Amino acid sequence: MSIDLLLALITGAALFGVGIYGALSQTNLVMIMMGVELMLAGAMVNLVAFWRYLHPDTPAGQMFVLIVMTVMAIEMAVGFGVAIARFRAKGSVEMEEAVELKG
Amino acid sequence: MSAQTFFIGFFGLAAVWFGIVVFRTFSMVRSALALLFSQTALGAMFLSMQAEFLGVLQIMMMATEMSIMAIFMVMFMMDPGGLGEMDMTHQKRLSLSAGIVSFVAAVAVAVFVDWGPVAHTAPDAAQQTVDLGLELLGRSMLIFETAGVTILTAMIAATAVAIQPATWRSKHEH
Amino acid sequence: MTTVLILLLLALGAYLVAVIETWTITGRFQLAAPLFAGIALLGRESIVPRKPDRIFFEVAPVLLLISAILAAAVVPLTPDLIITDLATGALFINAALVYVLVALLMAGWGPDGAYAMIGGWRFLGQLIAYAMLIVMPITAVVMRAESLLTTQIVVSQAGVWNIVYQPLGFVLFFIAAMALAFLPPFDLPTAKGELAGGVEAEYTGVRLAVFRLGRLALIITLAAATVIFYLGGWQGPWLPPWAWSAIKILVVTATMLLIGRFMPRIREADLLAWCWIFGIPLALLNIFLVGVLVLVLP
Repeated sequence: MSIDLLLALITGAALFGVGIYGALSQTNLVMIMMGVELMLAGAMVNLVAFWRYLHPDTPAGQMFVLIVMTVMAIEMAVGFGVAIARFRAKGSVEMEEAVELKG
Repeated sequence: MSAQTFFIGFFGLAAVWFGIVVFRTFSMVRSALALLFSQTALGAMFLSMQAEFLGVLQIMMMATEMSIMAIFMVMFMMDPGGLGEMDMTHQKRLSLSAGIVSFVAAVAVAVFVDWGPVAHTAPDAAQQTVDLGLELLGRSMLIFETAGVTILTAMIAATAVAIQPATWRSKHEH
Repeated sequence: MTTVLILLLLALGAYLVAVIETWTITGRFQLAAPLFAGIALLGRESIVPRKPDRIFFEVAPVLLLISAILAAAVVPLTPDLIITDLATGALFINAALVYVLVALLMAGWGPDGAYAMIGGWRFLGQLIAYAMLIVMPITAVVMRAESLLTTQIVVSQAGVWNIVYQPLGFVLFFIAAMALAFLPPFDLPTAKGELAGGVEAEYTGVRLAVFRLGRLALIITLAAATVIFYLGGWQGPWLPPWAWSAIKILVVTATMLLIGRFMPRIREADLLAWCWIFGIPLALLNIFLVGVLVLVLP
């Protein structure tokens, strides 16, 4: 059990934990999205560690990481589009106020 | 302890520390830039794990994305400078326990599972780039194309959602 | 010994670029002007605004200098003279240069002043305009070289330089490089006469000297990148490789500093419109044309 692999997996776990704490505890949409970004980053670290230490000869591992990076970018773009629309309609993006489906 | 182990540990610690700073600081711009440096530390970690293309790509893309997040924070949040020291969190105990439980569970899985034989060498960086390119445009072409179409759809959707409706503008123009 | 000599020659080259910049601004060729300006800046009082964001205020000029130097680390001046020949060199130049944006955002937000902040956020608008115009021509260059190694990119231009092979890409890259280095007419972040110096406004003394030095290093790095991507790097008939590199970089730098002097400043809304409506389709057309040429020509 390589120490490098263990270090990378622990880093991924820690980032995921911090991300969950942030996504659940923050009230503002932008801060929640930052928590989600941290969670995805933790997953990416795990993917790269598994690629490097278990299957370094298969480039499909790196391709998976590219897809996750793409997903991060897309989710941020659409999320901020929704945030702009919400801000225009209601004047704030606080998720505590977003309890009704109407309006 | 080899240099690679030291760098992985150092950059991992830096990434986690910056990640914690994101949610501990009161200034919103500092929060966004702390997330930026956390992702940069992750990119450096990828570089030290010899995934050179991924590391450089992570460093480049995350700097741009997090800077855009910084301006959105300034636009949408009440106290971007942080001098008011407002507490903007809710369900503190639930989120803290969820964070700790997920961390402990992931570390337990990492420590107690037998991951099999560990490879000690990776192909060199130029060869990796060639292989990645051939894989992307060869075996995984469908995935690559789907990702491309998804990005285009997301761009159009985000623009359509964020654009100002024409009726509001023509009503308020004088 | 040769390392010291090379570093001295590089410092001399940077000093020459500073002299050329003074000449483009004032019209007079003064060899001692940068030296006196540097000494004056170092000697002046260092005024700190009343309530700055201290970390950002201090880190921003240093980050600007570091990002320019990191990008220059993968640029080959001769076939052997390269600090680190990364296998993803062409992409790394872009990655390091993105931190110019981070540095300017910090310089804008740090001093807690209106003019600096406006300058910083305007640069973000400019980045959204020029970012694709930098990456797509690099993609076309890399397509011809079939490698991301910067030395390989120069070697691939042995017969025909890229400026002849892909002139559309050269024009787009040159414009985007000027926008990245916030040179006139794209100098929204430090709009002299409108924002009272913008991101530079609140810096004095040593920090301003580091900021200006960082900007100079950025211009030189971008000129060097243009030379290796489009102008054939160190290749040329009679002179040794390092002489050709030096001459080409100086010529490109002088052109970048001169070309926008008499044009009006472009607003970021207009820049965004032009780049996204015309620039990106042209860049995609460039990639398509280069692809056809690479497949058809032997």
